[in-house]
Amino acid sequence: MNEKTFYRLLLALVIVCVAVTAAHFAYDVYAYRHCSIIYFIAKEVWGHAAP
Amino acid sequence: MPRRSTLAKQIALLAGVALLFASFNAGLYGLLTRRLSNNFGGATQAKMIDVRRYLPFEKDSDLARANASLRLSGDLPVLDGAAALVPVYAAVINALYPEGSVTYEGGAFSDDNYYGENFAPDSKMQYKNTVRGYKAVVDGETDVFFTAAPSEEQKQYAEEQGVTLRYVPIGLEAFVFFVNAANPVDSLTAQEIRAIYAGEITDWAQVGGIHRPINPVTRLQGSGSQTAMDRFMGETPYGGKSPLVLFGASIGYSFRYYMEGMVGNDSVKMLALNGVAPTKENIQSRAYPIVAEFYAVYREDNPNPNIPLLIDWLLSDQGQRLIEDSGYVRLGG
Repeated sequence: MNEKTFYRLLLALVIVCVAVTAAHFAYDVYAYRHCSIIYFIAKEVWGHAAP
Repeated sequence: MPRRSTLAKQIALLAGVALLFASFNAGLYGLLTRRLSNNFGGATQAKMIDVRRYLPFEKDSDLARANASLRLSGDLPVLDGAAALVPVYAAVINALYPEGSVTYEGGAFSDDNYYGENFAPDSKMQYKNTVRGYKAVVDGETDVFFTAAPSEEQKQYAEEQGVTLRYVPIGLEAFVFFVNAANPVDSLTAQEIRAIYAGEITDWAQVGGIHRPINPVTRLQGSGSQTAMDRFMGETPYGGKSPLVLFGASIGYSFRYYMEGMVGNDSVKMLALNGVAPTKENIQSRAYPIVAEFYAVYREDNPNPNIPLLIDWLLSDQGQRLIEDSGYVRLGG
C-alpha cells in the first residue's frame, strides 16, 4: 500500500484503540465508585508471596 | 521484492500497535476491571443483599423464627432498614405481623430502583437501604428504620425538616477491617489502621506483610459503614490516595455480620484489632475494640400505637433472642 494509505490506516487504528482504552478507563472509574469493596478485595491478584 | 518487504513492515506495524493496545487493555482488565464487573449483573446484587432470601412468611426463607407472645394488628408500622439489617426487621415482621402484610414485586435495576428491589407501596416491609432509608423515616414514608448510627448529614436532614428522631439501641455489632485471604497480615492495631488511611503507612511491609502498596478502600458517603469509619478516624483526615495503589493490596471495612452472615466470601478475612478477633464472644464482652450498637429509629411524633409495642418487644427477651438468632449480638449480653 502507498504511504498515504498506510498513514491513514495507522491513524484510524490509533484513534479506535485510544477510544476503546478511554472507554475502558471511564467504565473502571464509574464501576470502582459503585462496586462492592468485599468483591473488589476478594478478587485481588495474589501470587505466593512470602512475608 | 522491496515493495513486498515494505508491505510486510507496514502490516507488522499496524498489528504491533493493535497488539500493544490490546495487551494494555487485557492487563487493565485482569488487574482491575475483572474485580469490578461482578456487581452489576443479576438480581443478586452482591454489594447489597438478595432480599428474596429474607422474605417474611415464605417457608424457605433464611429468617430466624420466634414464637412471639405479641401479634400486631390495626395500623401496622412500615419497617425499612440497612442492607445488613434486612434479616432482623424481616424476621420481626415474620414474628409479629399478620400474613399478607408484605408484597414483594422484585424488579430490575434502574435509576428509580437503585437496589433492584421493589416492594408494593402498601407493603409493610420496604428496602431502601441506609442513604434513602433515613430520608424516608424523616419524611414519614417509613415508620421504623433499622440501622447503624446516623451520619452527620442524616442528623442534619432531620433537623432541617424539624423532625426529632428517637434512636433505640436494639443490638450489638462489630465494625471490622478486612483484607484478601491470601494477605499474610492477620492483625493490626487501631493506630496502624488510622495511619494507613491517613496515608502515613503506605506499604504492607511496614506492618509485617509483604512489600506491596496498601490500597485503603473507602465506601459510599452516608452508608452505615462509612459513617462508622468517619467516627473511627475522628479528626484525622483520610481518603486521599494515589490512583496507582489500585493495583496494590487493599484493606476495607464493613460490619461483621454483613461480611460473615450475608456475603460470606471465603476469599476475604477479617482482621483482629489490637490482637482481638471480632467473634461474637469478643463483641459481647466488648473485648473487641469497636463494638457498635444498632438502632430502631422512628419519629418522636409518630402517633402509630404499634410502635411502642414493637420497640418494647424488641427489647424483651423474645426480641433479643430473635436478634441473636438472626446472627447479631444481644444488648447487655
